[in-house]
Amino acid sequence: MSFARQFAALLAMSLSGFAQRIGSVLTIIIGVTCAVAVLVSMLSMGTGARRQALVNARDDRVVLSSLGARGIGSSIPRDEADTVLNLPGIRKGSDGKPLVVFSAVVLIEARRRLTDRRIFFPLVGVTGAVTNEFDPAFHLTEGRRFHPGLFELIASNPCVWQYTGFELGARRSIHATDWTVVGHFDEGDTQQCLVLTDAEILMSTFGSNRYTRVTATLQSPGAYDALRRALEANPTLRLEVRRERESIENDFKELNALLNFAAYFVGSIMAIGATLGAVNSLYSIVDSRRREIATLRAIGFDSAAIVASILFESILLALPGALLGVLLAWALFHRMSVSPFGFSFRLDVSLGLAAVGIAWALAMGLIGGILPALRAARVPVATALRAT
Amino acid sequence: MRYLPLIWSGIWRKPGRTILLFLQVSVAFALFGVLQGLKTGVEHAVAAARADLLIVHSRQSFMLQPLPLGLLDQIRLVPGVKVAIPVELTGATYQKPTEGIGIVAVSPEDDWPSAFTYTIAPEYLAAFRKSRTAMLIRDTVTEKYGWKVGDHIPLKMLIAQQNGSSDWAFDVVGTFTDNDVGVGRARFVLISFPYFDEARAAGKGTVNHFNVAVSDPKLAVTVSDAIDRRFANSSHETKTESLRELAQANVQSIGDFDFLLRAVVGAVLVALLFATTTMMIQSTRERTPELAVVKTLGFTDRAVFLLILAEALVIFLGGAAFGLALATLTLPLGARFVLGLSMPGVVVVIGLVSGALVALVSAAVPAALAARLRVATALGGHGAA
Repeated sequence: MSFARQFAALLAMSLSGFAQRIGSVLTIIIGVTCAVAVLVSMLSMGTGARRQALVNARDDRVVLSSLGARGIGSSIPRDEADTVLNLPGIRKGSDGKPLVVFSAVVLIEARRRLTDRRIFFPLVGVTGAVTNEFDPAFHLTEGRRFHPGLFELIASNPCVWQYTGFELGARRSIHATDWTVVGHFDEGDTQQCLVLTDAEILMSTFGSNRYTRVTATLQSPGAYDALRRALEANPTLRLEVRRERESIENDFKELNALLNFAAYFVGSIMAIGATLGAVNSLYSIVDSRRREIATLRAIGFDSAAIVASILFESILLALPGALLGVLLAWALFHRMSVSPFGFSFRLDVSLGLAAVGIAWALAMGLIGGILPALRAARVPVATALRAT
Repeated sequence: MRYLPLIWSGIWRKPGRTILLFLQVSVAFALFGVLQGLKTGVEHAVAAARADLLIVHSRQSFMLQPLPLGLLDQIRLVPGVKVAIPVELTGATYQKPTEGIGIVAVSPEDDWPSAFTYTIAPEYLAAFRKSRTAMLIRDTVTEKYGWKVGDHIPLKMLIAQQNGSSDWAFDVVGTFTDNDVGVGRARFVLISFPYFDEARAAGKGTVNHFNVAVSDPKLAVTVSDAIDRRFANSSHETKTESLRELAQANVQSIGDFDFLLRAVVGAVLVALLFATTTMMIQSTRERTPELAVVKTLGFTDRAVFLLILAEALVIFLGGAAFGLALATLTLPLGARFVLGLSMPGVVVVIGLVSGALVALVSAAVPAALAARLRVATALGGHGAA
């Protein structure tokens, strides 16, 4: 008999036995389900955070910050910021002015609606009005934009439902002055609370003369190199430029490293546990079939076909576990809002993660199947047939 | 006691299966230990943080909004304030842009260490007060760079000197340790604030925060309120918090993961419970003839029931203990990422108790099967079905 036909016959025999060995079969499936569900849901934090951060990133936008600084540690003097307006490659708006926004960021405190706990969130002062030309994702949902020169704020909608005191018309005391919330907006799909005001009024309130960062829209994504060269050619400017995407990734590096470390650490341990469970179950399946396997060996079945059929059986048992695990993670955690470490985002169980989960399950099945398969292939024919 | 050999031989009836089961339990409880250690360890860290040490910072923001140095005199007037010390925070790099070191500039006035969590030898303290360019280095810095007392260390700081250069240099005069759980293994050094403030180009006369030690720990809340009230409605509103409150604020973000954490621990235990239950039912079935013999010898149903339970308990408690030990060993690795990760005794106890519970639950069905076994049918060879 050919290898393929032996393999098919062995597999059919295994499959027909599933009903009798329901305990062992379920052990493998449930073990793999739990391991995959945990891995995928933990990884969904990292992908969710990244996706959220990058959702509004545009290829033709660049961020300039002071040399070597990270996040809101950056600080750019006014005169240096003004030189950015004359850099090459920056697109002009319909009014003929360069599409450049200077922003000053201060952290102010807010209280959570649910827990009344304090968190700090960024209050961003921007120069000029935020136009749709500059940020197409910006979309005013209620009220109006702030007037430059007045103590007025506009808050993104996630602020309103996460924290207290951002309702339309609400007054907030910031740095001993009264500020009024005059509008609400959405910025794409982001869950991050963002509050905007006029940069000049914010900086004069805080007695600061420095911007935090400068964001510019390029004529085309390709204009980046020209801008970078022009910046490097001027050593008096202590600025560095990054594409918006890179700048965001840079800010998220630490959080992502932490989330992914946690996910793979916990996921690996669970996978080891599930693999051990699969080995034990497959051993008992093989043991309960010793006589059948010995009989087949006696009538000339190939050891390789036996090994292959058991490996395949093991993978076949891991697969439904993988699908169930992904489904479970999706049902429990997909689009769930979390706000760890001051970031707010939704968990994201993506297709890519489903693939990762299935790949892990296949690995568990394969590794878990090796030892039992080898034992099956080595069943001593004579003793096994004589056994009761 | 005389049943011990019987239990022991029952456990090792199939060594391969027992070892796999043992490992599975170990793995599950290693994970349980790490996850619970994360949660409980953080709670312990918060409880251990000092409540009598206050930080006065700007109401707007902790790290970024400076306060004028002039507030110091008014803070010192508040009843209950024992010591108040201005603190400025900045950063520096050593040799390479990637080698970051935190800089904490403090005023070395009388009794200043009582407002900090540092432990410093008296001779180092004296040397630090004497020289303007003195620098005390934390033990973590010593380990990393091997600096010794007497070394002259050049640093590139984020803040420039008056001549525009960001190159500074300090003399190492001693080392110190920090027992504040919040700072973890962070690398930072102490320098003299009066010298730093005089020499820097920008931001003169401002500090990041003030450290305040209160004369009586019971007064901490009253003193905090009194300080904040003094500056209310001024252009420099303050927020005074104890180290413990700050630690609480830092770890509350982990609270968001509670649901996820519980789901993971739940999944681990469910998978384990299911695997072990089926495994033990399987093994009890295989042992039907042996168990029947044991009963024929006069063992009661109850004794057989307890026998199976005891076997499960031994494997689970052993596995749980081994797993929790493994978790304790891996914690230093995780502590690099998460502050305050530790394995308090409570977690070990909870782990062992849940190990015993899972053992009892998963062994209950097979033990009941074994107890209900009818000797005649079992010995007749029909019980194996």
